[in-house]
Amino acid sequence: MKKKKSLGLMADQKFIVLIIVVILYVVFSFISKDFRKYSTLVMMLDSTYYILLLAMGVTFPLITGGVDLSIGTGMICYGLTGGYLVVQKGYPTWVGLVVAVLFGLLIGILNGILIAVMDLPPFLGTLCTCMMTRGLGSICANSFAIPWPGAKAEGGWFHNIFKLTVGAGRKAMNYPVGVIVLAVIVIIMSFVLNHTRVGRYTIAIGSNKEATRLSGVNVKAYHITAYAISGLFAGLASLAYAAAIPTIQPGTGAGIELDAIGGAIVGGVSPTGGAGSIVGTMLGVFVIQLLKTGLPYIGLEANWQQIVTGLVLIGAVMIDVIKQRREALEG
Amino acid sequence: MGETILEMKDIDKSFPGVHALDHVSLEVKRGEVHALMGENGAGKSTLMKVLTGIYKKDEGTITYKGREVEFHNTREAQDNGVVIVHQELNMVGDLTVAQNIFIGREPRKGFRIDDKKMIVDSRALFDRLHIDIDPTEKMSELTVGKQQMCEIAKAISHNAELIIFDEPSAALTEKEIEDLFTIIRDLRSQNLGIIYISHRMDEIKVITDRVTVMRDGGYVGTLVTEECTKEDIINMMVGRVIYEKPKEKSLVPADAPVVLKVEHLNAGKMVHDVSFELRKGEILGFSGLMGAGRTETARAIFGADPKQSGDIYINGEKVEINSPEDAVKHGIGYLSEDRRRFGIVVGKSITENSTMAALSEYMSGLFINKNKEKQVSEKYIKELDTKTPSTDQLVVNLSGGNQQKVVIAKWLVRNSDILIFDEPTRGIDVGAKNEIYKLMNRLAAEGKSIIMISSEMTEILRMSDRIIVMCEGRKTGEINIEEATQELIMDKATRQMEA
Amino acid sequence: MDNFKQNPLVKKVGFNRVVLCGVLILMYIFFSILVPVITGSGFAGMSHIMGALNYAYFLGFLSLGVTFVIATGGIDFSIGPVMFCCGLISGYCLMTYNMPLPLCLLISVLIGTLFGLWNGYLVAYWTVPPFIVSMASMNMAKGIASVFTKTQSVSWPRSTDANGWFRNLVKAGGVPTGLFCFLGAAVICAIILNNTKFGRYIICLGSNKEAVRLSGVDTKKWEMCAYLMCGILVGIATIFFVGTYTTVQPGYGDTYNNEAIAGCVMGGTSMAGGLASISGTVIGVLIISLLQEGILALKLTKDVQLIITGIIVIVAVYADVMARRRKN
Repeated sequence: MKKKKSLGLMADQKFIVLIIVVILYVVFSFISKDFRKYSTLVMMLDSTYYILLLAMGVTFPLITGGVDLSIGTGMICYGLTGGYLVVQKGYPTWVGLVVAVLFGLLIGILNGILIAVMDLPPFLGTLCTCMMTRGLGSICANSFAIPWPGAKAEGGWFHNIFKLTVGAGRKAMNYPVGVIVLAVIVIIMSFVLNHTRVGRYTIAIGSNKEATRLSGVNVKAYHITAYAISGLFAGLASLAYAAAIPTIQPGTGAGIELDAIGGAIVGGVSPTGGAGSIVGTMLGVFVIQLLKTGLPYIGLEANWQQIVTGLVLIGAVMIDVIKQRREALEG
Repeated sequence: MGETILEMKDIDKSFPGVHALDHVSLEVKRGEVHALMGENGAGKSTLMKVLTGIYKKDEGTITYKGREVEFHNTREAQDNGVVIVHQELNMVGDLTVAQNIFIGREPRKGFRIDDKKMIVDSRALFDRLHIDIDPTEKMSELTVGKQQMCEIAKAISHNAELIIFDEPSAALTEKEIEDLFTIIRDLRSQNLGIIYISHRMDEIKVITDRVTVMRDGGYVGTLVTEECTKEDIINMMVGRVIYEKPKEKSLVPADAPVVLKVEHLNAGKMVHDVSFELRKGEILGFSGLMGAGRTETARAIFGADPKQSGDIYINGEKVEINSPEDAVKHGIGYLSEDRRRFGIVVGKSITENSTMAALSEYMSGLFINKNKEKQVSEKYIKELDTKTPSTDQLVVNLSGGNQQKVVIAKWLVRNSDILIFDEPTRGIDVGAKNEIYKLMNRLAAEGKSIIMISSEMTEILRMSDRIIVMCEGRKTGEINIEEATQELIMDKATRQMEA
Repeated sequence: MDNFKQNPLVKKVGFNRVVLCGVLILMYIFFSILVPVITGSGFAGMSHIMGALNYAYFLGFLSLGVTFVIATGGIDFSIGPVMFCCGLISGYCLMTYNMPLPLCLLISVLIGTLFGLWNGYLVAYWTVPPFIVSMASMNMAKGIASVFTKTQSVSWPRSTDANGWFRNLVKAGGVPTGLFCFLGAAVICAIILNNTKFGRYIICLGSNKEAVRLSGVDTKKWEMCAYLMCGILVGIATIFFVGTYTTVQPGYGDTYNNEAIAGCVMGGTSMAGGLASISGTVIGVLIISLLQEGILALKLTKDVQLIITGIIVIVAVYADVMARRRKN
């Protein structure tokens, strides 16, 4: 009986978020004619891919009870470095992509070492790498703003991963193939979180690190892995970002982590660790992105986005706190 | 009994300031249940931690299955068939029972963890042990007793050859203990070596074959259980220290007023409808098994945890206590069972800790009057005979007994009239224990009223004027000291509430 | 080394702080030699010292503020953007609505206070993890400032302008009045931290919150007050920032978070809470400021400084982690 109840609650959380997603979409569509357009949807999806990738990655450190604040500036840094090689140095596009992803993985491992081996508080260690990647990005790209090759330009094939444009001119039709790519990644990461040792120990570390260690698990290695995944996904996100944003500016990226972490927490990842799901994270990101994209359509200027995202994040954590308090009282 | 499976010889281990193990020896044979006994702090758990590689020994040899070994971590010990069922539960609450049992050695199909096989294997394991637990249930949703059973199942599933039970029965009900014994007998018949750590004399007689007794970190001796009496073991455990007899009659005057009255207190899942009275100058003992809800009751009275219902009267007046702040205002002081977590601020000085609850009285305008603070701190160091070089000494550098005195000083500085001592002598050596007892008696004689929660029967019988027994969150008995016996208390402490 | 540690003077000042002072002096000598070699222009001399000090004033107030928060075992890395939010909104009031200058300065402090109160309320009463509160506040501060100023930057009056008198707080004639303000504030903060109930409680609750609560102390209130104190100091920091740098741009400010935290943790305040040193923070801030001036003088970009500051924080906190490990 008990088990059914708890499973029901888990489903509830995701279900509620799903309903919120639907309601938001319907409400915005109802108010604004422009929001209903297919092109708006494609545009919105375009700017969701990289957030979703970041959010899936950061879900792992969050479940260990930590956080990765370096993903926003990191993503820009990797995109700048890879792009610099392609645009300024003339390397083929795939080299830039690989470098960006590997760079992300490297910083992720560095984060993992800072936190798992050197015992720094996660927010502090990753706040440092956040600032450092911000500086590194500018230095690696020689302070240039980097325009990755456009969709039609030579070497711009990577755009097709996320958005397939068929035809030209006015008849051009955009297909958001990124939805399929991301869906596959969501399924893979769901599998990793629920059915592999990496995922299992990520949850175990967030739930009771000492007990996990005493069970003979190499806690440090898996703790590092969680951050490495986060870094790897920040690297992948830089590709989606390069595909969505024409020019990457050095010195930007701060604040993007809020959307990703906010999405994960809205989607049910516990800010104190031990619980969370990839599908929940995905739905949470949709909530944040719908709000961000939708607000300008209902007459609020874009600057409200940051305020609303902040409030949504705080609200989500507050709901979690209320739930925990009630559980503690009822037992 | 078969051949020797484990021999620990002359094991020595020191921590900064403590000689935890002083050349201890232990021999366990196949097919025997070997009891390891001793008071709290005698070094039993430390010895087991040395064996399983959690601590590194300073000296001595460990011979296991005829080979000298030194395990570097629990994993290595496990792989060699030495497993420990910990006193503290080592559970990952967010994982399921099956996932917990197989953590660190999950069966796999490629990358995929084979959860189905884990569940099937867990079921088989539980069936073998006659335990009724659903392996797919989340660990955090089980009762403490069932979690303990899972720990045991996990230990056994390691193809263990030597199993250490570290006070496994502390949290179990009578029925569960019987189940546990069935399991242990079964394991013994399979020619495993079993080390059984417990405080309960009756259990030792029932289940064990031999007894090794430790005292103050040293080895005292080994007896064959059948050939010795309870008294023999107790004498070995307590050694030279003469145990004072139980209190024979209450020292509280018949007309002493009631200072604290609790009526129908309900709090969380561990406190159900608890009512009692505490009189001036009385030491009221709270007895019961681990997890009986005594600490929870104390915390609810003190406002540390929220309560659902119930009234509290102090000196006949009904009071609202919703936070420790309220409780302290009404003259209640609480000495937690876990000093380091809830009692003292270890990184701060004796003075800072002493005035913590009464800082308002040591202010000159906006500023803390550090001279006055120092004076009062010195006064109580003298009065309680706290051993410390100075008032500025950080509490972290004091011994357990002296730390406890700092906590007592905190409440005396605050002039609290009602003191709740939760396991006041846990982790304190024998000498300091006696000092704490004397101090409590003195405080009671001076008119302070004391609630003493204790799991040590001797302590309860020696100190209390009256005893309240709890079981599973309910008050199951109230016994005057004149009538109290160990058997009577134990009977009430294990009594299930009749529906 | 041990002899040096046992020296009574060193003991009195604190070994840690003596070392920090040494670092400060060595760094100055290092730049004085390196800058002329690399760029050909001098570094020793008043102009660079004044430059470093200018940077130290606002950073100092930020760092003092965050010291209180870190003492409780929390963190606030919204301070930089909040300072920008204060400067933008109050500056906008001054330039666009022509409000009187004292009122605008007051608004600045008020906004800082409100942010402190909001952060503290969420952390203390709602047990929202401090890093989440910081992250949300950081972005909300940017958003609010942008909404209020319609994404324009704001320029505060110059010293020759009618309303420029407030710059005397930073520098009057050739006198670095800002230094006196900063040191004065540091002394007050030190007294608050060491000699008042508030200071005692926040340091103790940083070390063991439950023990303090079970002593009958309203820990929630005092924890919130630590963030409030931080907010007030951030509001004051704004005055010194705009008094030095004139222009405030929306959407920035987060680079100062790390520098303020760096100053604080270098000075011996423990990230685990329960240990704080105001004098350490002061020296830490001076080191960071000198570093910033030196890097500029070397004609290196801000990017290099971001990386170096990051490394400094990591090393300082790791040293603290190691020290605590050794103790246990």
